[in-house]
Amino acid sequence: MGKYVIKRLLLAFVTTFIILSLTFILIKLLPYQRPIGGDTQQIAYFEKQVHLGYVYRFDYENTEYGDYLYKTPTQNGRAHYYYQVPVMTQYGSWLKNIITKWDWGYSKTYQPNVAATVIIGSRIGYSIKLNIISVILSVPIGILLGIWAALKKNTMTDHTISTLVMVCVSIPSFVLISFILKIFAYELGWLPSTWPADTSTTWVKIKGYIIPVFCLSFGSICGYCRSVRAELCEVMESEYLLLARTKGLTRRQAIVRHAMKNAMVPIFPSILAEFIGILGGSMILESLYAIPGIGKLFILTLNTKDYDVLFVDMAIFTTLSLVASVLLDLSYSIIDPRIRVGAKK
Amino acid sequence: MFNKNLKKVITLILALSMVVSALAGCGKVDDTKTTDAPTKAPVDWDGAYMEGEDYKNYISYDLDLLYADIKGQLTDSQKTAVEAAIAAGKTAITAAQTVAEVQTAYDDAYKAVLKEIPLADGLKSFAGESNDERTNMLGLLETYAIKVGTTGISMFEDGGYVMYNPRITLGTENYIVGYGFGTLAEGAITADLAYETNADWKRYYHTYNASDPGTLNYLNDQGSEVSDFYGYIAASYFTTFMNATKDGYDWVPELAKEKPVAVNPDESGTATKWRFEVRTGKDGLKYTTASTIASRAEFNNREVALEDYLTPFKLLLTKKNEYFRGSEMANQTTGAIVGAKAYYEGSAEGFNEELWNKVGIKVYEENGKSYFEYEFTQPMTAFYAMYYITSSLYMPIPQDFIDLVTPQNYLGFNLDATETPLDNSLALGAYYVEAYNADQQGVYKKNPNYVFADTKYNVEGVHIKIFPAAKEDTQAGFNEFIAEHFDSAGIPKERLDEFRNDPRTRSTTGSSVFKLNVNALDKETWEYMFGENGVVAQTPKDEYWEVEPALGNKHFVKALNYSIDRLKFATARGSIPSVDYLSSNYMSDPENGISYAVTDAHKNAVASLLEGTDGYGFSLELARDYFRLALQELEASGAYTPGTKENPTVIKLELAWMYTTHEEAYHNEIKNFFETAFNDDSVHGGKYKLECEFWVGNEWSDVYYNKMMVGQFDIGFGSISGNTLNPLDFVTVLSSDQAISGSFTLNWGTDTNNPDAYPIVYKGERYSFDAFVNAANNQAVVSKGANEGPLSYEYTNIKKNEDGSYTGSLQITETLKGTKVTVDSVVCCNYERYRNGDKEYHEAEVTFKMEDKGNGVSVITFTVPADLAADYANGSGTLPEGTKATGITGFDFYFTFDIDGTVFSDYYSVEDTFEVK
Repeated sequence: MGKYVIKRLLLAFVTTFIILSLTFILIKLLPYQRPIGGDTQQIAYFEKQVHLGYVYRFDYENTEYGDYLYKTPTQNGRAHYYYQVPVMTQYGSWLKNIITKWDWGYSKTYQPNVAATVIIGSRIGYSIKLNIISVILSVPIGILLGIWAALKKNTMTDHTISTLVMVCVSIPSFVLISFILKIFAYELGWLPSTWPADTSTTWVKIKGYIIPVFCLSFGSICGYCRSVRAELCEVMESEYLLLARTKGLTRRQAIVRHAMKNAMVPIFPSILAEFIGILGGSMILESLYAIPGIGKLFILTLNTKDYDVLFVDMAIFTTLSLVASVLLDLSYSIIDPRIRVGAKK
Repeated sequence: MFNKNLKKVITLILALSMVVSALAGCGKVDDTKTTDAPTKAPVDWDGAYMEGEDYKNYISYDLDLLYADIKGQLTDSQKTAVEAAIAAGKTAITAAQTVAEVQTAYDDAYKAVLKEIPLADGLKSFAGESNDERTNMLGLLETYAIKVGTTGISMFEDGGYVMYNPRITLGTENYIVGYGFGTLAEGAITADLAYETNADWKRYYHTYNASDPGTLNYLNDQGSEVSDFYGYIAASYFTTFMNATKDGYDWVPELAKEKPVAVNPDESGTATKWRFEVRTGKDGLKYTTASTIASRAEFNNREVALEDYLTPFKLLLTKKNEYFRGSEMANQTTGAIVGAKAYYEGSAEGFNEELWNKVGIKVYEENGKSYFEYEFTQPMTAFYAMYYITSSLYMPIPQDFIDLVTPQNYLGFNLDATETPLDNSLALGAYYVEAYNADQQGVYKKNPNYVFADTKYNVEGVHIKIFPAAKEDTQAGFNEFIAEHFDSAGIPKERLDEFRNDPRTRSTTGSSVFKLNVNALDKETWEYMFGENGVVAQTPKDEYWEVEPALGNKHFVKALNYSIDRLKFATARGSIPSVDYLSSNYMSDPENGISYAVTDAHKNAVASLLEGTDGYGFSLELARDYFRLALQELEASGAYTPGTKENPTVIKLELAWMYTTHEEAYHNEIKNFFETAFNDDSVHGGKYKLECEFWVGNEWSDVYYNKMMVGQFDIGFGSISGNTLNPLDFVTVLSSDQAISGSFTLNWGTDTNNPDAYPIVYKGERYSFDAFVNAANNQAVVSKGANEGPLSYEYTNIKKNEDGSYTGSLQITETLKGTKVTVDSVVCCNYERYRNGDKEYHEAEVTFKMEDKGNGVSVITFTVPADLAADYANGSGTLPEGTKATGITGFDFYFTFDIDGTVFSDYYSVEDTFEVK
């Protein structure tokens, strides 16, 4: 078991490294987005790029670095040429800084000169908190609804829950939040229409959680409900449950002691997967509700080409996903004793 | 067929010109009689799409427009001669029997007109002229640009409708161009904002921004977002406030105590050196900060010292700091400070005292008063001397504060974000930073230390919500406004009908006119500019753009211009229809806030675009007539062959846009305008078909960098904005010369340094656009009407002498006779070492002699000693082992020359090679 865990963690580390390396190289291969303006603006821009270490400047055409990105107007026979620093050179120094100094770089445009890890550190709390609350809320509600539907299988209650779940699971989160905002924030004025700032009162901050948590949980609740209902229905039709009833257990006893336990085997691991799903899904929600989390930051840094911050953000998402997948695999053995992870044949 | 109104106008002009030419001919020999059309056998009119009489009327009208454009600047004798030439031309046009003959008659008349106006020559400078005269000059430049098509096809101005919360009392109910409503400076807030939960902020002005700028350091930023955030805390030497009648604004000293006074004025009142008295701690001027960090809090209420005025310039111009605006300042051409560029280039390692002492900025005390003195590289009028030094970038700051926070963190966060812009900024402006929560909000509070704290800016504070939803959703901010969470918002086009007439709504003008830029180059000129060895950009042969000949026809482009129903198009989008190149924000009189758009100079310039239209440049009839004209001319020139109704000749135009959303937002309607006007059977009987195709790149800026700026387009959507208070300087972007336009030319078709392309006549002399725009802004060496360098050079490669030394020569030809040239030095540069060796740069002066060959030609002969040549050829022995030396070297020639008492310095650089052993 121990060996298996170490092996999986090492694999996760290698995967993270490959993902980040590929991302770095591919993103750096994107074309330069120069500002719109004349030579004065161009020179200022490229000088800045030289300073940031992305561009070389030469007083002559240097074919060693391929085509130049920009050439200043030739005046009296003189001109400057700007070339992109080769991507692999940038990659090498980026990697070296991380390995030797744990220096992930600093922000160039988003919060100039602030360490990328500091920026992520100051924002990850919002995203994690929001997601944990969302999971805490969605798991019991989803499971309870699923159980209820399963117990009332083929009744009006079951049909109603199942239909609602089908409808609700199809609603995209941005549609849902727009709808919720319109009613509860703009028309009724009960809830804040954007994430309250840190300087707001505690009560306002609490109210600020309601809309994003609801929107994040909505899909999960539906998902859990469907899974639990399906699993429980299957278990309840199994022969061992019939045997349990014939042995004299009440319906409640049979469901709680036998059916629930077995039905939950595939449900619990999915909670971890759902957490990662929510984390990814919160990118759009964070942008729409102005939540200063790492999801919004990901989109923002991608748009503003603030790569050092983007790579740390990416590393966080990748690491969380991979660690979750390891935990997911391990959880099977905890929940179902019949499963032995890493066991030899 | 022919537009009735225009027909009347042309008939009237024809009649008038005939009377004028008859009067002009009184009492002297009538030269025009000799130009009577020769007698020849009558032939049938060959124009397929327009009757001969109508066609001739239009072409005669072009001559009338030409005369109208230049007559105001002609001398009396020139007027007489030009009128005669035009009258003769019209007679020839009337007598012409084919399209080609009409065109020949027009060309002959055009040349005859040009012949009557002498080309300008000499060193010209009109930079010191009054605002009125500058406006007239701008009018001449605009007229030229419209006639040759370098303004593109204007569509709309980006102004629109803004709504304000009723709790806001605006400074004025009517938008003041270039100033606004005076919301903060002159306005007031009369009620609490219920949505705001912080009691102290209920009376703050609540607004939003789509993203957090992450810093307030405008000195090191290239966009406008940071500038807005920084603007609240910054003060300038001078500022503007609404005037007493609330219909304009006045310039008032803010950090200065008086307007600039010329130190070295010339006769016209312009000067390069200016000074003014500034406020310091003695006048009660103090910094404000809300930081609670002890080292920062010490600066709160600290008095401003005179030396603090130098700090921002040092901060900006020291290259080591790599401040974006510093680089921009060092490289700017208009409003450049003496020695700034040299200091910038020489301060890569940090502050350079020797070079700093040569920068034209100093402060000093005189008679107990504190003065700030500055020197421009070119003479300025009093207003521009004030304008070019009025920037919040130059707000004083104590050097010890910069030392404390470091130039990297000034106005921003530190590396671990424990210090925020609140801690790393000092305010002298109307507000100071009260709270700054990254990605959440920026809050500003009224600064009690502000110079005008008692009389202006009665609004207690400003709250800026970071609201990313506004970036993607145009309605998001507006929804917040309607819910009374924000105090103002623009009305999205989807809700215009609902709120256009709401009492909370105000209309504004815009800062940019959005236009369709046109590639009107012919194949040969395109290749010259953008071909494999293009002078503007180089394109591989297999990527050559296939230019559309129709766009090279001025009548075709004019027809496209008339096709757009701007009123319908712009109104539906909440914008302002416009045929103008410059938006309403560009000032004719920046001192008194008079927009160029309301001047006669501008109205005359755009008259030809508006005459006979709906008032916004739209006329389907005119559009179709001009398409007919164009097709006749294009067929006559062999550019197109007509097809049949079943198989029409297709003219394909690619319309390049910024975003995919532009297809629905703009393209489809513009395409419909163009195609509806052209593809009507009445135009060509179905023999042609116009097809407009949509293009969009991966990045929004592709339309500029991959399309318009490299000639890979037919028509491209875009706009550029410039200095609204100096439009004369901004129109340099219309030049086809990249050195003048700053490499930002978007419309192509005419060599703007050709004085014959279309005449710009000023005070009886004819100029090319480039010559005139340079003379209007600064000075120009004008030769035969064109803009030229003061010297032209011809280099002869070095030759090795028997003793191992090298001799080379440079021939200099003076553009203007009488130029006194002195060679200061000839320098040999060790490029081999710099490029291929240890990257160290070394150079050495070499001996030379100058020989006057007469007729403005001199030859400089220089000699490189054998040992120096041998050393440089091998990169001074610093080349890595195994690297073969190339012997590359360079020569710099430094000159001083004098034209009519004006002394200039210049240099010329060239590369050459030494022999390598």
